[in-house]
Amino acid sequence: MRDLWLSLPVWAQDAGVFAALILPVVLIAATILTGHAPGQLTRALLVRHWRTNLLFVLLVGVSLGLGVGVIAQERGLRQGTAQAADKFDLVITAPGSEVTMLLATVFLQPVDAPLLDGSLYNEIANHERVAMAAPLAYGDSWQGHGIVGTTADFVDHLSGGLAEGRVFAAEGEIVLGVDVPLGLGDEITPAHGHGPAAEEDVHGEHLVAVGRMARTGTPWDRAILTPVEGVWETHVLPRGHAPEDGEVIGPPFDPDYFPGTPAIIVRADELWSTYGLRNEFTRSESMAFFPGTVLAQLYALMGDVRQVMSVMAVVTQILVALGVLTALAILARLFARRMAVLRALGAPERFIFAVIWGYAAVLMLAGAALGLLIGVGATAAISAMLTARTGIALGTGFGWTEAQQIAAFLSASLILALGPAAIAMRRPIVADLRG
Amino acid sequence: MPSTTAPEPAPALEVTDLTVAGEGGRRLIDVPALHIAPGERVVIRGPSGAGKSTLLYALAGLLPVTGRIDWGGTDIAALSERRRTAFRRATFGLVFQDYLLFEELSPAANAAIAASFGPSAGRAPIRDRAAGLLDRFGLVRGGARRVASFSGGERQRIAVARALAMDPPVILADEPTASLDRAMADRLIDDLLAACEGTGRTLIVVSHDPAFHDRLPRLIDMAEGRIVPRTPVLQAAHA
Repeated sequence: MRDLWLSLPVWAQDAGVFAALILPVVLIAATILTGHAPGQLTRALLVRHWRTNLLFVLLVGVSLGLGVGVIAQERGLRQGTAQAADKFDLVITAPGSEVTMLLATVFLQPVDAPLLDGSLYNEIANHERVAMAAPLAYGDSWQGHGIVGTTADFVDHLSGGLAEGRVFAAEGEIVLGVDVPLGLGDEITPAHGHGPAAEEDVHGEHLVAVGRMARTGTPWDRAILTPVEGVWETHVLPRGHAPEDGEVIGPPFDPDYFPGTPAIIVRADELWSTYGLRNEFTRSESMAFFPGTVLAQLYALMGDVRQVMSVMAVVTQILVALGVLTALAILARLFARRMAVLRALGAPERFIFAVIWGYAAVLMLAGAALGLLIGVGATAAISAMLTARTGIALGTGFGWTEAQQIAAFLSASLILALGPAAIAMRRPIVADLRG
Repeated sequence: MPSTTAPEPAPALEVTDLTVAGEGGRRLIDVPALHIAPGERVVIRGPSGAGKSTLLYALAGLLPVTGRIDWGGTDIAALSERRRTAFRRATFGLVFQDYLLFEELSPAANAAIAASFGPSAGRAPIRDRAAGLLDRFGLVRGGARRVASFSGGERQRIAVARALAMDPPVILADEPTASLDRAMADRLIDDLLAACEGTGRTLIVVSHDPAFHDRLPRLIDMAEGRIVPRTPVLQAAHA
């Protein structure tokens, strides 16, 4: 049985868990409602106390929405960052913090990092298992968009083919990230540095846009890419090639004229080679890491926080559900006279049960639907905000986890709702008829 | 007319050693014997607190009792709650002093409320009968108008339609005219009597209303939880 379960595709397992969680509601509903038509009376109760009912639905909706939102947001962040790191198979930097260098390379956060020299670069670039080794050079910016020096191969690799134009072929040419507000042919004058401290027009350099990358879903969508030689030269450094080579750009670089790079992005010829390369270049003078692995370590760290948040969200929902059901039990006293009339007229116990339980079920279902809207809406809004701020494309989709969370909430609350329904049955008919 | 279709033959009522205890075991009513023949029309009267309504609710199987309440061979005091409820559904039409309608529903929905919990095959006849009764009582059946917007007299007639919609052989009414003005009360008495006329239906009414006392053939007086043996006492007094 376990083997059969494990052999199922993930979606089928998710659907199976969802079905198992929602099954109690279906069974209870089928048992209680079959053969009766309590809808009209349930509706009457809903209409009669509509303000209170609306408040209940809002309470349930907000608490459930927060829970759904937390989980959806966390997953979106995880997927978004993982996707951002997707094109960065192996990163080699000077020894230091992997997290810092992950932020510097994949997420383009400016850092002061020690440089790798030309001989190491050449050793990496000429390795038989290396398909691409791209140096990076940061420094300048234009209207907050970082200008990153690299190679044409890396631009191709990152973008998977340009959306328009061509890759830079000479110094002074730039390829735009998809979110850079420039058109092909536009010229810019970079400012030295980043952010508010950036100094305008220090270098007196003009760059012209010749291409635009396709969307990558990473902060690189907001970057401007240019030949690494240009960045070095702007900062009065050797340009990576011997003077007699002229204005050539791209690899191979001459180690004697290589000013150093904080990071080299490496793509191996085969996936399995990446592991060998990581071992080979993890040395005293260099550090090689998989961004995906570093992210996974971060997720594992955050995973505990996520679990705590999830538990808190579920506890909040249960508390709200209990609060609502307690209020329902009290409200059942208000219904008592009406239920007594029904019982006096000969309505079977199961019918009374169905009216009260159906009433609770409508409130909980409406609350769950509202919670779903709030959760998805909040996630979409927060994701849009974070995407605008970081450039990381964050998913906003509704996943099985949220569906299961809602199913678990509905099952738990509607099993608890049997309580108020049972209380309604225990009341003395004549005393209630007399009000 | 829908209300005058022949219901199930009314059962005879035979009460023996009936007592109902209130809080602390205090006896609310004590009725050693009471016989009501099938199709009889009876009004129970007496001062407030005499136990009239308690007797009516006991006869309807709504109170825990000791003794026998035999309706046509079925002692409802000995039935389980579930079977007593089913017996009530099949046998009695109940009318209450303050209508006890579902204010958010239309007259038609209120009158046909039993269709919500009856067997699905019986739902359409209940709705048809309810509609016919509302027509007969001169009430607008439905639409979106809720019964909350109707006058007291109209609401009580909707309640009577609800009691008759199941075509019960016995009608039990608790002070049905107490909340109505004279004209409305008289009209309601007409409606109730018409519903019993020629149908063999039994009518048992608890009422202070002298109009009921005048128009129903049998009076039962109650005082302090007991049926007052009215006629023999008077005969003895005149003897």
